[in-house]
Amino acid sequence: MRVVIAEDQALLREGLARLFRDGGHHVVAALRDADQLLDTIAHEQPDLAVIDIRMPPTFTDEGARAAHSIKQLHPGVGVLLLSQHIETAHAVNLVALGGFGYLLKDRVLEVGEFLATAERVAAGGSALDPMVVANLVAPADSGPVGRLSERERGVLELMAQGLTNTAIANRLVVSERTVEAHVRHILTKLDITDSEDGHRRVRAVLAYLNSAHHT
Amino acid sequence: MKRLHLRRVPALLLVATLAVEAVAVALSWGLEPRYDTVLYAFYAVIVAGAGALIVSRHPGHPIGWLFIADATFTAVAADLAQGWGLRAAQQHWPAGPFAEWVALWSWIAGGPLGVLTLLLFPDGHLTRPRWALIAWANIAGVALLVPGFSLSPDIGDLFVGDRNPYAVDASWRSALLTVGMPMFLGSLVVAIVPLVQRLRRATGVERLQLRWFVFASMCAVVILPVVALLWSVAPVVRPLTALALIAMPVGAAIGILRYRLYDIDVVISRTLAYGALSVVLAGTYAATVVVIGAAVGRGSDWSTAGATLAATVVFGGVRHRVQDIVDRRFNRARFDALQRMTTFLDELRSGRAVPEDVERLLREALGVEDLHLLLLLPASELTVDLAGVSVTDDLDDGRRRWPIRHAGTTLGTLVAPAELAERGSLVPKVLDAAALAVEIARLRVGLRRQLDEVEASRARIVAAGDEERRRIERDLHDGAQQRLVSIGLALRHTQHVLGPDVDPDVNQTIDDAVAEITVAIDELRELARGLRPAHLDTGLGPALRDLARRAPLPVEVVANGDRYPTEVETAAYFTACEGLTNAVKHARATKVVLRAFHERNRVVLVVVDDGVGGAIAQNGSGLAGLADRVAAHGGTFRIDSDPGRGTTLIAEFPCAS
Repeated sequence: MRVVIAEDQALLREGLARLFRDGGHHVVAALRDADQLLDTIAHEQPDLAVIDIRMPPTFTDEGARAAHSIKQLHPGVGVLLLSQHIETAHAVNLVALGGFGYLLKDRVLEVGEFLATAERVAAGGSALDPMVVANLVAPADSGPVGRLSERERGVLELMAQGLTNTAIANRLVVSERTVEAHVRHILTKLDITDSEDGHRRVRAVLAYLNSAHHT
Repeated sequence: MKRLHLRRVPALLLVATLAVEAVAVALSWGLEPRYDTVLYAFYAVIVAGAGALIVSRHPGHPIGWLFIADATFTAVAADLAQGWGLRAAQQHWPAGPFAEWVALWSWIAGGPLGVLTLLLFPDGHLTRPRWALIAWANIAGVALLVPGFSLSPDIGDLFVGDRNPYAVDASWRSALLTVGMPMFLGSLVVAIVPLVQRLRRATGVERLQLRWFVFASMCAVVILPVVALLWSVAPVVRPLTALALIAMPVGAAIGILRYRLYDIDVVISRTLAYGALSVVLAGTYAATVVVIGAAVGRGSDWSTAGATLAATVVFGGVRHRVQDIVDRRFNRARFDALQRMTTFLDELRSGRAVPEDVERLLREALGVEDLHLLLLLPASELTVDLAGVSVTDDLDDGRRRWPIRHAGTTLGTLVAPAELAERGSLVPKVLDAAALAVEIARLRVGLRRQLDEVEASRARIVAAGDEERRRIERDLHDGAQQRLVSIGLALRHTQHVLGPDVDPDVNQTIDDAVAEITVAIDELRELARGLRPAHLDTGLGPALRDLARRAPLPVEVVANGDRYPTEVETAAYFTACEGLTNAVKHARATKVVLRAFHERNRVVLVVVDDGVGGAIAQNGSGLAGLADRVAAHGGTFRIDSDPGRGTTLIAEFPCAS
């Protein structure tokens, strides 16, 4: 996996690069800000861009805006946003695009899980930090959210984290067929109809997140 | 010395006029109609008195001297001469016919004095230079008429001897009379025109001052020529002359005494007050001496002491009352103005008026619209108006300034048209009376300004505090947290380098260290959120939802994604935090609703719980601190918390967008 890193803090930048290298990946560039990021992406066409959400000069959402541009110009490049805290607005806007992940920065310390998530995103999957999901899902006590059962909500939470049905089945210790049934019910209750669009799962998560976000 | 000497002249002339008139009345008494004797003497005394008064206040004022000259001339040339002539004819004294002759034409010779009075009244200046022609025409008329009239044989019947001893029967004399009479009478009549114009142009007090004199003068210039023409034909009209003449100085006196013309009221009122007081004191003294004398014997020390005591007691009580009565009669304007101020202070004391009304009161009391109070603030030495707005006094605007003092402190300045100065002590007296109200107004304005400054600084302190929280939050996220992640990554790298064959203890130790680091990062994140939630960067709505998510009870958030100014979002967020804390800690609530919305230029935050109610913002409590925080942003804070009916907190913050 070819990786581009954008992180303003030198120590952390080096640590991340080393982490990917230790995991057997190829870090093609490690940048200190978002300025050169798009050019580098265009030039290197990496599998994954790992971007800190706060970078110079304003330390607000430079990384999030860069992520948006990358997803528009190079939909094939996976983008993994890292943040010190949860800012749901960015997650909701980007997760629909696929090949996108949004994690708290300290998730990198769980090396195995982190690299697995990074690979999933690079392969076109989605990943939302459990904290983000909790943030969005917890106050769901009205609207379509209210129609879901507790178990269904749990399944949707795991869907939002980008887990496959198999992974969800393992996590919940149920059969894969049960998970498939739950997913069907969830899609029905959220009025997500069958279509050629392959992103029904993402749409389910989105509908869910949006309803929670705009309560 | 010279000045002193000059000032005595009018008084001496007044005394002389009185003496001359006394002699004239004595001489004429019984030898001519009584009205003639009395009215002309009366006329001379009034004119002399008015003249002396005016000159005493305004030395060198033309009208004063004209009056004095007229009175002196009339007393000597008309009244004394006539008296002498009459008495001489009866007593066979010398120069009788000559005196009669002088008296007969003296009225003509005095004409220019009358014309000048009409032209110059009241300020001593011509309204237009060309009106001087009228005076010259009158003087020329006099020059022609005096010989033409005095040498005429036709006035013989006016002498006691039925014959004009100086008669000259010549055609040039008739010609002088024929030309001189119309010039004299005509200029006299025309002289009224500038005076009437003055009246028509005058406004306010000046109009009142002029009105009576102009009215009397108009009557006089109509009556006098008619009477002059009918003098010999119809003697019955003769008393009209005296009445018409007296009307003029009476008209002037009304202007002077009642409407403060020449600012003379003060002199009069003091004179009258102390005169009346002297009479009362003397009466008291005398009465006491008599009464005590009758009781304890004449010449006793007791009666003297008792009388003195009585007079002293009477003096204290009576002085103000007498001054009051005199003021009412003779100093209306000042009396009314001071009366108004006294009433205002009473209303102020009883709370029916506010001290800031003092400016309006001064406008009314002094009868001037263009009047302003400038207050000197004690601490800052700033000059402000009554609204507390700092102003710079434009000293070159042609208006006058009066200092306002109270108990040795300068409170400020009264700015008003310079003409007010002509009303003498009126302004200083009224300002003295108003000083207390001005002082209160000044202190209030000062307090209000200080309060504004305190509120502004409180808002700045809160904003600085919020900014500091924001900075620390950033530092925690971007500094400490990031470093911990770096350290964790370094440990993981070490683990990787050591490989799978390392001592399991080492692996375990590294895993524990990384776990510790993760906990530390979480704690730092919570700490930063408590300082200032990073969610506020994305808006009030997300921050409230984050708050709700972490609450230990169900919290419903009703808020859209609207953005407001940072300080408003921060204040609203902490209001919600405190409301939520109250609901959890004290209200035993089972459900809370947080609502944030924008309405009529205000951001409103409502926290409703279903708890026990009865919350109050006590000193030192979180709710009191909250009220302070809301107030610091110029907002309002309300708690509805009846026991048993839950608690509703409503905070409103001004927000224009």
